[in-house]
Amino acid sequence: MEAVLRRAEQAGYDSDEEKLLIEQAQSGNREAFEELVRKHDRDILRLAFHMLGNREEAQEVFQETFLKAFRSLNRFRFESSFYTWIYRIATNVSLDHLRKRQTLKEEISYESDTETNPDRPALKDTLAATTYYSNPERRLYGREVGERIQEALKSLSEKERLVFELRHYQGLRLRMIGEIMGSTEETAKNYLFRATQKLRAQLGKV
Amino acid sequence: MSCQEYQRQIVLSLYEELDDSERAGLETHLLGCTGCRQSYEEHNAFCNALAEDKTAWEFPSDLLVECRRGLADQLDRIETKRSWWRMPAFSVVFTPMRMLESATLIALGLAFGVYISNHQVSAVGPSAGDSPAAMALSAVPQNSRVSNVRIVNTGSDTATVEFTGDVVQPLRFTGKLEDDTTRRLLFSALQDSMNPGSRMQAVEVLARKSSEPSVKEVLIHALLNDENLNVRLKAFDGLKPFADDDDVRAAFMQALMSDPNDGVRVAVIDALAPFTKSEAMANSIEAVTRNDDNTYVRLKGQGLVHSVGDQR
Repeated sequence: MEAVLRRAEQAGYDSDEEKLLIEQAQSGNREAFEELVRKHDRDILRLAFHMLGNREEAQEVFQETFLKAFRSLNRFRFESSFYTWIYRIATNVSLDHLRKRQTLKEEISYESDTETNPDRPALKDTLAATTYYSNPERRLYGREVGERIQEALKSLSEKERLVFELRHYQGLRLRMIGEIMGSTEETAKNYLFRATQKLRAQLGKV
Repeated sequence: MSCQEYQRQIVLSLYEELDDSERAGLETHLLGCTGCRQSYEEHNAFCNALAEDKTAWEFPSDLLVECRRGLADQLDRIETKRSWWRMPAFSVVFTPMRMLESATLIALGLAFGVYISNHQVSAVGPSAGDSPAAMALSAVPQNSRVSNVRIVNTGSDTATVEFTGDVVQPLRFTGKLEDDTTRRLLFSALQDSMNPGSRMQAVEVLARKSSEPSVKEVLIHALLNDENLNVRLKAFDGLKPFADDDDVRAAFMQALMSDPNDGVRVAVIDALAPFTKSEAMANSIEAVTRNDDNTYVRLKGQGLVHSVGDQR
């Protein structure tokens, strides 16, 4: 986690080395692109895994993020840091996946109808599956606190959860989170405050 | 600055998101305000407890390897597809390769769109002898709209193209509220983040069945999470008759604590008032509203405690 925080501190600006890599990748150098991927892929995978809650979808988000970056790298104009840019792609892809999952209109039923359609997932289960904490692998840790946080995170709106994830777990500064969301630092502060209030209300004294 | 506003500062200070002057202002306030000092300590303990959970928060170690391998495969496929464009003979003739690729993709997309709009699609499923194109079109019913079309694979022989996309069909449906399909459509309308009007109508209709657990849960979710005030108020109206339910009361308490709208918080206090014969409930409401930035809300909260005292 300290590494994440260190990275987040440095993330506001690209080093000369990174700028060179970006320019090389923009001119079609695949090795340079892969080098860029390796600089950031742990953070992106961590975000995807936590937001989506299972390895399959995390892998999809990971690939979609970097493939989008690969295809649109020529449009990157160094107006923000590469770190912010790639995070913006990753958060959009993650949110798209969450929205798709929650609006699978043909498959949604709030309570599962086990008699007539045993294969159809219940909406409440679909929604419950949207956090990392509902992952069976996570449950193996058997932490009471983790399970209570799992419940509490369900009470957050999509954006409250995103801001909380990015600030609390990824260690990004709110200014950068605002940029990633295409919004302002002030808005990110409001989301963080509301998220924390809701979590406290849900969890009381953990 | 009110104590309510300092609550926000407290959270931001624990995440080290205050500038020097804000931090100094908060520290000065904390020295003179017992309530906020206690709140700071509670928030601090809470954040520390949450921080402990970070330690169990890593993805499985093999997943990164798997992801990198998968990405490399995808990049290989993209490069293979592109490689023939890069042959010297082609690069002499077609110098702006990317423009050509883009133009090809756009042309394919347009051709696909025109094809769909001009052709009648059989309602019968594809037979064994149908061409792949006919099989694909059979998945696109007449009068439907195709969106988000993406080409995911142009095939190694460049003779086939694989698409993904969404098919959206016009829908008109009449059903009873207790029908599963009706419920599914209403739940879907509730999740339409772009259309608060639809969400409000869905809440209004669902509220007629708020005694049912699944509907109640959906209304609670709308009350606590919907960004639109009117949707939250409709959800509140639907839940109000069931305020004797533990889940509903818990949701009301949470709305009282976090809803940004004064009107909602006042309405919640009114709905909870009949349950304040229990001193604990009155005290909880008073504690939650004590630092509310709206004077009327604070007074209402205190009033409940006093009325309980008067009755005794």
